[in-house]
Amino acid sequence: MAMRAAILRHIKVPVRSQALAGLRSREWNLSGGALVRFMSSHDEHLTKEEVMERVLSVVKSFPKVDPSTVTPDVHFQKDLGLDSLDNVEIVMALEEEFKLEIPDLEADKIDSTRLAIEYIYNHPMAG
Amino acid sequence: MSAAAAAATTAGYLARRAAQKQRVRILYRRALKDTLNWAVHRHLFYQDASDLRERFEVNKNVESLDAIDRMIAEGEATYNKWRHPDPYIVPWAPGGSKFTRNPTPPEGIEIIYDYGREDND
Repeated sequence: MAMRAAILRHIKVPVRSQALAGLRSREWNLSGGALVRFMSSHDEHLTKEEVMERVLSVVKSFPKVDPSTVTPDVHFQKDLGLDSLDNVEIVMALEEEFKLEIPDLEADKIDSTRLAIEYIYNHPMAG
Repeated sequence: MSAAAAAATTAGYLARRAAQKQRVRILYRRALKDTLNWAVHRHLFYQDASDLRERFEVNKNVESLDAIDRMIAEGEATYNKWRHPDPYIVPWAPGGSKFTRNPTPPEGIEIIYDYGREDND
């Protein structure tokens, strides 16, 4: 309670900007989610180069893959000679690498390094 | 059988095969994740994952559609029976420990840290 009072005493809310914030929140509802606001303090976004490098290193370290054949645009099953279950394992390894939780149906569609890089780069929580 | 009927049968067969393949992939994915949930250590997981893979590989060459359907149903039942009650969930995801926690404060609100030197004191 004392803590709360102490913190409240330190918070300053300028009236003008609060009114603005009110306006803005109404805009959010109108724009139908065009402006995405992430409810977390997590705001470092990965660069495309970093995503690419880490995705490739995960794919290269997969035991059944010859590292020299991995490029930013290979299809796991057609180019690397893996089967569908290997594909599942790679996607799971990528999820762990980037601390992601990909819904099953979306993960099922990731079948090449290009798609994986694209998906992870566009994921707000990839870390 | 006419050509059209044959084509329709082939299309139906392919569609059913595709659906089965997807079910198997998703079942394998869920089972693999659950294997990780059950493994207390990473080095235990590798053996369990390899065993799981073996169980899928055994039936790799089954051709009969109905037999495959039965096996998938069995696999899904086994998966449901052994589902982990408290699976690992990435913190920000629904059910995770950080889900909807620590939201950024609205713009315009700031905490001024002046450590006891408030202006109204």
